[in-house]
Amino acid sequence: MSASKTTGGKAIDILRNLPRISLANLRPNPGARKTERRRGRGAHGGNKSGRGHKGERQRGNRPRLGFEGGQTPFYLAIPKYGYNEGHSLRPQYQPLSLRRLQYLIDLGRVDTSQPIDLTQLVNGRGVTVQPLKRDYGVHLVEEGADIFSAKINIEVQRATEGAVAAIERNGGVITTGFYDFRSLTILCKPVPFFLSGQPIPKRMLPGEDMVRYYTGAENRGYLSDPEEVERARQELAQKYGYVLPDISKDELFHMLSMRKDCRQIFFGLAPGWVVNMAERKILKPTDEKLLRYYGS
Amino acid sequence: MMNMFRSGLNVCCLALGKRLSSTFAGESALPSNLLIPPNLVEVQRRLRPLPTDSVPVLHKCEAEIARHLRPRQAWLESLRSRGEDQLGVVELHPDVFAVHPRIDILHAVEVWQRNFKRISHAKVKSRAEVSGGGKKPWAQKGSGRARHGSIRSPLWRGGGISHGPRGPTSYYYMLPMKVRVMGLKVALTSKLAQDYLHVVDNLEMPTPDPEFLLDIVRHRQWGESVLFVDANEAFPENLLQAAAGLKMVNVLPAIGLNVHSMLKHESLVLTLDAVKFLEKKLLWHDSRFTPLYPFRLPYSDFP
Repeated sequence: MSASKTTGGKAIDILRNLPRISLANLRPNPGARKTERRRGRGAHGGNKSGRGHKGERQRGNRPRLGFEGGQTPFYLAIPKYGYNEGHSLRPQYQPLSLRRLQYLIDLGRVDTSQPIDLTQLVNGRGVTVQPLKRDYGVHLVEEGADIFSAKINIEVQRATEGAVAAIERNGGVITTGFYDFRSLTILCKPVPFFLSGQPIPKRMLPGEDMVRYYTGAENRGYLSDPEEVERARQELAQKYGYVLPDISKDELFHMLSMRKDCRQIFFGLAPGWVVNMAERKILKPTDEKLLRYYGS
Repeated sequence: MMNMFRSGLNVCCLALGKRLSSTFAGESALPSNLLIPPNLVEVQRRLRPLPTDSVPVLHKCEAEIARHLRPRQAWLESLRSRGEDQLGVVELHPDVFAVHPRIDILHAVEVWQRNFKRISHAKVKSRAEVSGGGKKPWAQKGSGRARHGSIRSPLWRGGGISHGPRGPTSYYYMLPMKVRVMGLKVALTSKLAQDYLHVVDNLEMPTPDPEFLLDIVRHRQWGESVLFVDANEAFPENLLQAAAGLKMVNVLPAIGLNVHSMLKHESLVLTLDAVKFLEKKLLWHDSRFTPLYPFRLPYSDFP
């Protein structure tokens, strides 16, 4: 019999000659449905019905879980130590390796002709961020720095030095920005937020513990001084031994220099605006108090 | 029961075997573990010649087809008159109309369709709900009778039921979306493979006469029951009137297409618009991202 090169080819050829598939002909695959063993019925489910022979087991009087017959149980003998103390207050970052980023770019899931944001990464299903599990964003990691070769304008929440070097070596721009919980949820899932009809909130500034990070030029923080950032770029290029390409002479300079305001969540949308997806309209506030609040 | 089916095989093999005469000579294409009911009625349908290259291809698939696959072809027919049944050929996408014929998926989707809507309202009273039975009927010791605590215990006549159906029970469950999509594709494939799928340019009819419709169905050997499917809900009046009185002929919009209806009706008649609609909707699931939020909220690439 010649092998058909089409999907399901042979099976469809056989099907052509069989009786019509109707409601009377359907059955699950053999072995798919196994009858369960019911307690108290038959030779194998009956007799003692899976309870064992006499004692606490059969009579249902076993002591609580963890009880060791009177000996100090394991969970009391071991002293407490605050390994997980405050775990729900510790910020976590979803790692994103340069290797994965290059993979996404190669497959076209992330567009390099526009600034790469957490929204773009999530839309391309590159990372899964769970703000409810204390995730504060994405951490760019230098695994795959040797194969990374894309010129991008990327904004992450944390980045290692090697990752920063790899991005800048290829002529790209990297910034680290802080998103509080509400802004992060909106950033990851913009459509459900727009459908809720609420105005875009302003992004909160980092807390005490993170201000230092985001004002530091080595981390390319969004609150840092641009001149310091330029100096840090030169120093990093010297440290890692590559020639720093001049971005200002690049044709994509305008795109590469796009950066968000410290209170802005989305490119092109300011805090206070309401997006109406059904009618494709944007509503902007006109009241002076609102403008003062959202402008601050 | 197995013997009954196997002996039926020898009898029905003749009728089924006739369809094999055009295929492989040395090998029987019927699998050895086939169960055929002895009362199976095989209606011999005259074989239509397969379309050759000289026939005009009136519609090509809009979506891309993988290079190792070739599109399936079907005659384009019309309901305007009984003889207009070979207007041309339409191409059908193989990833919708020629997938693996997974009968187990069809079974799973059919069972799901039957059961997920089921709410069984059966409820019986337990010993707590049956009226009365709060007082101990007689003293524990001394009466000589068996000891009892209430007259409504399950041991008693008129007492509560210990393990009966309790309250409205829901049998709701959802099969994964891709399994349900695959079920539709397998049903369409099996209809096409067994020559029960017909494509019509539109459902325009010259008269609202049910006899005219039945005449077309009988002449073209579409079978006993036919399901007409169009892309949108606005059906021509003539068809609606003709099919209104008929039990075996039904009309359905394409969003309502489901495995149960396809298997219940012998023949499936799709309009060209319905074919385009189904291909667009069913092929999207092959290469979509996992949902970030439910699909009922807007997505930019949702078909």
